[in-house]
Amino acid sequence: MARLVPPGARELPALTELRLEVRAFLAEQVAAGAFVPHVDTWLTRWDRDFTRELGRRGWLGMVIPQQYGGQGRTFLERFVVTEELLVVGAPVAAHWIAERQIGPSLLRYGTEEQKEAYLPGISRGEVVFGIGMSEPDSGSDLASVRTRAERVDGGWRLTGTKVWTSGAHEADAFFALARSAPLDPAHRHAGLSQFIVDLRAPGVTIRPIISMGGDHHFNEVHLDGVLIPDDRVLGEVGEGWSQVTSELAHERSGPERVLSTFQLLAAAAQAMDDGRLPTDPGLGRHVARVAALHHMSFAVSTALENAEDADTAAAVVKVLGTTGEGDIADYVDTLTATGWALDEELDTLLHAAILQRPGFTLRGGTNEILRGVIARGLGMR
Amino acid sequence: MADPRDLAAPTTPDPDLVAVLTDLFADYRATRATPTAVVDLDRGLWQRLEDLGLTRLTGSESAGGSGGGWVDAAALLGLAAAAAAPVPLAEHDVLGGWLLEAAGLPNDGGLRTVCRPDPSGVALNVTWARDASSVVALWEDRDQWRVADVPIDRVGVEERRNLAGEPSDTVEFDLDDLEAGIVVDHAIGEQFHLRGALARSAQVVGAMERVVDVVLAHVREREQFGRPIGRFQAVQHLVSDIACETALARAATDAAVARAAASDWTDPGMLFAVGVAKSCVGHAASVVVRGSHQALGAIGTTLEHELHTLTRPILARRSEYGSLQDWDETLTALASSAGHDRLWTLITTGRAKTQHAP
Repeated sequence: MARLVPPGARELPALTELRLEVRAFLAEQVAAGAFVPHVDTWLTRWDRDFTRELGRRGWLGMVIPQQYGGQGRTFLERFVVTEELLVVGAPVAAHWIAERQIGPSLLRYGTEEQKEAYLPGISRGEVVFGIGMSEPDSGSDLASVRTRAERVDGGWRLTGTKVWTSGAHEADAFFALARSAPLDPAHRHAGLSQFIVDLRAPGVTIRPIISMGGDHHFNEVHLDGVLIPDDRVLGEVGEGWSQVTSELAHERSGPERVLSTFQLLAAAAQAMDDGRLPTDPGLGRHVARVAALHHMSFAVSTALENAEDADTAAAVVKVLGTTGEGDIADYVDTLTATGWALDEELDTLLHAAILQRPGFTLRGGTNEILRGVIARGLGMR
Repeated sequence: MADPRDLAAPTTPDPDLVAVLTDLFADYRATRATPTAVVDLDRGLWQRLEDLGLTRLTGSESAGGSGGGWVDAAALLGLAAAAAAPVPLAEHDVLGGWLLEAAGLPNDGGLRTVCRPDPSGVALNVTWARDASSVVALWEDRDQWRVADVPIDRVGVEERRNLAGEPSDTVEFDLDDLEAGIVVDHAIGEQFHLRGALARSAQVVGAMERVVDVVLAHVREREQFGRPIGRFQAVQHLVSDIACETALARAATDAAVARAAASDWTDPGMLFAVGVAKSCVGHAASVVVRGSHQALGAIGTTLEHELHTLTRPILARRSEYGSLQDWDETLTALASSAGHDRLWTLITTGRAKTQHAP
């Protein structure tokens, strides 16, 4: 069969050393109580101090060249740092979007001035970004966004509403995808542009969208004629679609699509060892899938490092990974009886994982959309 | 910037070998007879493989083998399984041939199968036993492992067949023959089960990859309601799920094979790595067999169709060298004893203790 996923690669000692260095630091942080390990921390745990500490240690801006304040390292090195942060349940939400997609997009499409303005702050963990793509009427069908960008003297005026903007209430700026030319039904992907929006600018209103567990992570960002100077257009006017889709493989294949509930899995393993949960082969099955996805995700990262096309492979990682991380939540839930004395740690992780689970297979492209992407990769569409 | 070549090493088989095998098995597939319910050894194909030095691919050159490693051997096993080729490559080479070499026993190149007889000298489900010239037995006797190469005329063979319709015989040894076996290191005895499980995983993955191709060809050609059924989103999602599970099984198997090849099976993480492969392959088999038969419709259930020549061996082999449940339990034991703080170390290294090499 045509390979959906690139062939595997073996991690070499230079990479493992970095992994162990990060792991040792994180173990110290947990021991010192610097953070409490949790699930889905790349969405739900903001800690600007922790983010800045990572920047000081050179674990942010890893793929940003040194001339822009970054580390000039490889995607593979970023991959192992990211894995280590996620498995320990560290509070990484503050820098997540900037580190994963804003930095790489700025590098690829930004002007020299934009790179100099933002990349050093991103690499230090001081500049925090969000991303504004979805709208009330545009979820999976992103090309249908209605936020309008109107040409004005010296720039553009943005009017519209973005939703599910994680961390907008804490972030400094976001990238907004907007329609800069009227919709042409024959070319729906044309006429879209990306803008760098200062979230403190006049005309920006941020309202919370409270999640079902009562937490505030998402926001509605209303843009009421917000003035965007010409020098805050990202890339080419009208090329927004190709710009946002060009980074999808990075966005979809990363370890955050596999490891959101790893702390719960680890707690369940401990509980089985302690006899607080019944010994059950389902644990082994889930551990095996996480291990296989670790290899698969690494293979995709290796392909991306070598500038190979990995869009379909990334969709495979995301479908399998997000399904699996949600299944872990449900699996542990099926092992526990109400009224059974567990422990507070396991309970807290389990409840959070169950409440976060629906989002796993929605964010970043629903699994239904991704199965279509895979079908296309298989030549069915 | 670090050179990515210092960070990650490719683990792909020799492309020349893959090209030869692809041609060989494509030719085999094009010229073989229509499928049958019972499957017998194809001696003509075996001879062709032997002429190419592929029946002893992993044997050391000094012992008449081709000196191939596990990465190449897994590719051979997978491609042969994708062609549903009825030849005992796993039994003869990576298991039987390896045991003979480990015991320092001569290998005349005659067809071997392999088994682990119980204390009374009986082994069940010995694939291809009736076709072998001798049977390599790994026998645990009073805390010692022995390897004996017993000619077929010295054993009793009760002919049986497995789910795939292949010879899967009951073999009864004379205890004297087993007791005359060469004592080998305990590690050999323990490794045998892992090697068998990984060889089966490589075969099942290869067969599942072929199933994906068969399904894709069918859903492109078969029309209902005026269009190919592959145009229906429901069918696209079904096929996508089959392909994803197969890809996961491939990733797990390749990772275990790479670890085996890099360490010549001495890596203490092999038990975990093989377990991950066996678990992912076994669970994938459920999805792939079920989904492929659903996609193919009634025609896929007929004797003349290729599909069962793949799905039956997939199910037969996933239960060999430990059931899926056995392996999930093994992984559960490893994971729970690693506990909260060492589970990730277990996943990345195959063992719960921190080591400085992957």
